[in-house]
Amino acid sequence: MDQFHHLWPFVRRYRRRLLIGALCAMAATAVAAMIPQIVRFAVDDLNTRGVVLDRLLQYGGLLLLTALVEGVLRYGQRTQIIGTSHLIDFDMREALFAKLLTLDQGFFTTMHTGDLMTRVTNDLSAVRMFLGPGVSNLLGSMLLLLTAATLMFLTNPTLAAIVVLLLPMAAVLFVVIGGRMRVIFRKVQDQFGEISTRAQENFSGIRTIKAYAQEDAEIRVFREANERYRALNLRYVLLSGMLWPIIGLMLGAIGAFVLLVGGRMVAAGEMTVGELVLFNAYLAQLAWPVIALGWTVDLYQQGAASLVRISEVLQRRPAIASPPDAPRDFVVRGEVEFRNVGLRFSYSQSANGDSSAHPASAPSPHAQPSVAGASEWVLRHISFRIPQGGSLGIVGATGAGKTTLVNLLARVRDPDEGQVLVDGFDVRTLPLAALRRGIGYVPQDTFLFSVPIRENVTFGRPDATEEQIAHALAVSRLVNDIEQFPNGIDTLIGERGVTLSGGQKQRTAIARAILRDPAILILDDALSSVDAHTAAEILAGLRSIMKGRTSIIIAQRIATVKDADQIIVLHNGEIVERGTHRELLERGGRYADMYRRELLRAELEEE
Amino acid sequence: MSRSQFDDDEILGKAYDATLVRRLGVFVAPYWRRLALATALMFGGAAVELAPPFLVKQAIDGPIAARDPAGVLPLFGLYAAALLAAFGFRYGQTYIVHSVGQQVMVDIRTRIFSHIQRMSLAFFDRNPVGRLITRLTNDVDALNEFITQGTVALLGDLVRLLFIVITMLLLNWRLALISFIVFPAVMLASSVFQRIMRGVYRRVRQRIARINAFLNEQISGVLVTQLFNREEQSRIRFAELSRDYLAAQLESNRTFAVFFPLINFLSVTAMALLLYFGGQAVLADVATLGMLVAFIQYTDQAFQPIRQIAERYNTFQSAMASAERVFRVLDTPATVVDPDHPRSLPSPVRGEITFENVWFTYDAEAAGPDGSGLADSDDRWVLRGISFTIPAGQAVAVVGATGAGKTSLVSLMARFYDVQRGSIKLDGIDIRELRQAELRRHVSAVPQDPVCFSGSIASNIRLHDDSISDEQVRRAAEIACAAPFIERLPGGYEYEVRERGSNLSVGQRQLLAFARAIAFNPEVLLILDEATSSVDAETEALMQEALARLIRGRTSIVIAHRLSTIRHVDRILVLHKGRLVEDGSHEELLAKRGYYYRLYQLQFAEEVRG
Ligand SMILES: Nc1ncnc2c1ncn2[C@@H]1O[C@H](COP(=O)(O)OP(=O)(O)OP(=O)(O)O)[C@@H](O)[C@H]1O
Ligand SMILES: Nc1ncnc2c1ncn2[C@@H]1O[C@H](COP(=O)(O)OP(=O)(O)OP(=O)(O)O)[C@@H](O)[C@H]1O
Ligand SMILES: [Mg+2]
Ligand SMILES: [Mg+2]
Repeated sequence: MDQFHHLWPFVRRYRRRLLIGALCAMAATAVAAMIPQIVRFAVDDLNTRGVVLDRLLQYGGLLLLTALVEGVLRYGQRTQIIGTSHLIDFDMREALFAKLLTLDQGFFTTMHTGDLMTRVTNDLSAVRMFLGPGVSNLLGSMLLLLTAATLMFLTNPTLAAIVVLLLPMAAVLFVVIGGRMRVIFRKVQDQFGEISTRAQENFSGIRTIKAYAQEDAEIRVFREANERYRALNLRYVLLSGMLWPIIGLMLGAIGAFVLLVGGRMVAAGEMTVGELVLFNAYLAQLAWPVIALGWTVDLYQQGAASLVRISEVLQRRPAIASPPDAPRDFVVRGEVEFRNVGLRFSYSQSANGDSSAHPASAPSPHAQPSVAGASEWVLRHISFRIPQGGSLGIVGATGAGKTTLVNLLARVRDPDEGQVLVDGFDVRTLPLAALRRGIGYVPQDTFLFSVPIRENVTFGRPDATEEQIAHALAVSRLVNDIEQFPNGIDTLIGERGVTLSGGQKQRTAIARAILRDPAILILDDALSSVDAHTAAEILAGLRSIMKGRTSIIIAQRIATVKDADQIIVLHNGEIVERGTHRELLERGGRYADMYRRELLRAELEEE
Repeated sequence: MSRSQFDDDEILGKAYDATLVRRLGVFVAPYWRRLALATALMFGGAAVELAPPFLVKQAIDGPIAARDPAGVLPLFGLYAAALLAAFGFRYGQTYIVHSVGQQVMVDIRTRIFSHIQRMSLAFFDRNPVGRLITRLTNDVDALNEFITQGTVALLGDLVRLLFIVITMLLLNWRLALISFIVFPAVMLASSVFQRIMRGVYRRVRQRIARINAFLNEQISGVLVTQLFNREEQSRIRFAELSRDYLAAQLESNRTFAVFFPLINFLSVTAMALLLYFGGQAVLADVATLGMLVAFIQYTDQAFQPIRQIAERYNTFQSAMASAERVFRVLDTPATVVDPDHPRSLPSPVRGEITFENVWFTYDAEAAGPDGSGLADSDDRWVLRGISFTIPAGQAVAVVGATGAGKTSLVSLMARFYDVQRGSIKLDGIDIRELRQAELRRHVSAVPQDPVCFSGSIASNIRLHDDSISDEQVRRAAEIACAAPFIERLPGGYEYEVRERGSNLSVGQRQLLAFARAIAFNPEVLLILDEATSSVDAETEALMQEALARLIRGRTSIVIAHRLSTIRHVDRILVLHKGRLVEDGSHEELLAKRGYYYRLYQLQFAEEVRG
């Protein structure tokens, strides 16, 4: 039950509804228990007095009335309790989504999208099924069991004792079978996440799959994942399939005892036939709730397993968050400073190189880069300062740590040592939203949403005027392309922007960043898919925009960064050279080499 | 609204249930033996379950009424035996049916997945990944319900109901008829209920698919949402979708909340009728008291399968809603298909590529099969009348402004899409006459967006092709200049790459994609689409040297914006707004003083100005 305390905050809000539902359930049960009672009186009457017509009419009418009242109460029970489960489902879905939005990249790189989706949909419905139909059933059956037991005691204590003593046997069975069921169900759900992940990766990488004619192999792998899912499910069914029949068996056994013992009692004159009939009727009434109890056990096991998976997300603390004592009205001006910054990634999960790693073995919520030797410094001793309005160019080899470095500024990650300061404050002490609002970031890996281009461009600034939009499109040189689209700027684009060309995607991302009117503009290799001609135009446009703003530009081509006030050269995570273009050329180091290489090539081509 | 273009999750109006069931039947048919066995078990179970009330009646009317306790014993034995048998039957039935359900799910999932694999890229441009996943997961699950609840179990309920009805009729037809008075009302209620639920279930399905599609995109793009402070808007949009779903769910719940109490009421009505009329029958000596008691029990029992049938009908409805969507995917014809009688390439393949007056648009529907739907001047043409021939072994570069159609051009060579007019030939054979697998064995394309999959570095290079040895993987990585960084990673080639390569730098991802292309060792044609755009110049130079050796004798096509990347090539094609405007060697094009010249001037000028 311990995992269910995570549920309490969600359930609390609906205490009243649940209470009303429970009252309805109770009343309905009490009313339902009257039905056999009425039948019993009727039968006894028939037996002793013979038939008196208007008495029968009375019994009939009474039955109908009871049924009517029961029906109304059941309606209340269902709409309140199961309705509440849908409301809780909604709340939890919202909470899960809200939580996902606050989680950091450290979390998302270790989780699979497909698996996360399974948690928000399938696992949530498993929990909902327990909360709604499960609890409703549990409540109904418990109440019915209780009233039936009481009434049985009133009718015939000896027989009732037999029934009540035998029933707990069922509970023991449930616990034993149920425990096993939960363990397997967790595996079933994890495997389901795996299937969904496979499909997810395949569909998003379909171009590559097709390019290398890997379709058949992918189908094979997918089928295997499905076969594993099937095998796990069969193990689950082996147990869950037993629940119902076993309950039938147990109830039947109890019925048999009642018949045996009751028969003797009637024969001995200790009991009337009517009472025996009544007893049997109660027993029959027990059948349904007890079977439902079995079903509830099934739902409980699934719900509990799924709730653990959900809690793993809900209970996860975002590694990147606003500090509680952050200043209220902070506005970024644009001074940036890195003080002896160092960062390392945790490789602990990949150390064993287990490529078939199960999503279940996803890291514990508080994975720390603690395993000694398992993590290497990706950045070390990084110090520099950009005054407000200054510009910084960063160059360096592939994998040198350029992206990682600028990510620290927008707090995509936090450094493991040293400090990143904006306007003189450590970014970790600043309100996160305000910090990010001050930054216009064009990530290296362009991500666009499948909404019209307009919405993508105004993504960081939904209130932008037409003029501002037009300006951003002009600077990013997207205007010409947009003219050719069927619906212009309102053209809907495919997922991740698949219906745009590489350069169009990048330029949309640039437009999106400059429309924010940020104090700090970061371009991470943002012109890599843009032809030189267009790139030059964009850079010229940016130059006027960047006046008075701080800018950081990462590029593979020196031409893109050479006008920066300050250029740093990263190598293996450390700054190996710094200065202006001229100074660096004079130094004759790495930067000068890079430049010569470019120039040389240009000259070579000239000849 | 333009969004509808991408949204085919709308509710389907008319019912095709019979057709759907028939089509689902195809998946279930192979397992008919097991289902038949389950049905037999079910019959056995239903028959055995009839025994207990009958035995109770016997006991009450016989030994108990006769005050003969010993006489109860044999009845007791029978009762116990019936119970055990019922347990065995039911358990067996449940297990078998579920095992069939699971098997069919594997079949259907694999079938959908395989079908989706055969779809052309145009299909993926249109369908969000989240929606496709919904088809494979939630929708298939609903079909499973159909099998576990809708086949044997449904039959079982019907049979159980039938048995009870027959038994009642045989025991005492007058009492039986009294119980049946309420049946028409039950049917009426059920049919009204079903009509309502049909729509509701379809809404539920549609809305969960929307949630999934949204969710998938939001999870993939969460960083952008965070960086641009859009969490609030995303939350609001998600809440909207989620609320729609909630509304459909609540509607379904309310319908249930009315229906079940109603059926219950009808069952008690039957009981009341039995008491009233049956009581008179007892008086008239037409029935015994025990008989009346048994009948009250039978009536109660008869309502259990009725309730169940109603419930099963609902899972059935839900399954039909899913089946519609699943079959809609399965019925989407592949637009790029293998010919019935594929030709094979002459061997050895030489690698000569010919474009003959190729016209291409992504809006294939508007263009029609022969491209006559669009005027020549239409904006939607991405490529307009492209013709050229690349002789075997030539290295060619394609340059042009962004959006000129370079990527589209090379996508056509790998036949990711089919052209609307004109043709593309490999060694003189129209590529539409080849099997796609054969074509792609000879053509290796490194896409503009490098894709990495979760798995080890090695598995990213060789994908699922086990014929590529570890040694070959290593060599490919070395040629691609990926080896140095790979070896520095913890675990080296076994380093665990995360989804989409999120724990690699972008340049590293490109190197990896490059290594993959080399490992696959295309026999004739290598296409590099901006394959080194994010790689530093030094590494790129090294790669080019390695590549120059590798592509000697092979046809290769390189797309690049950095002119330095294409200095090795024999020939340059310049694309401008979908037209081939210049074609020739570096020198020739410079002499022409056209687009290429200006491009060249620009890059060069920029680089010396510093
Ligand atoms: N899948 C698609 N669906 C619809 N339109 C597309 C699709 N892919 C590209 N386009 C459009 O076709 C045109 C040509 O795109 P293409 O990707 O071929 O350009 P490109 O020359 O490769 O440009 P870049 O240098 O920016 O990569 C663009 O206007 C683009 O918007
Ligand atoms: N999430 C991550 N987990 C573990 N390692 C990572 C992660 N992201 C990046 N790395 C590693 O950190 C190093 C620096 O990566 P980064 O993306 O900063 O390089 P970069 O300089 O931007 O390179 P490029 O020019 O290719 O974009 C690389 O070796 C990369 O493999
Ligand atoms: Mg980078
Ligand atoms: Mg392109």
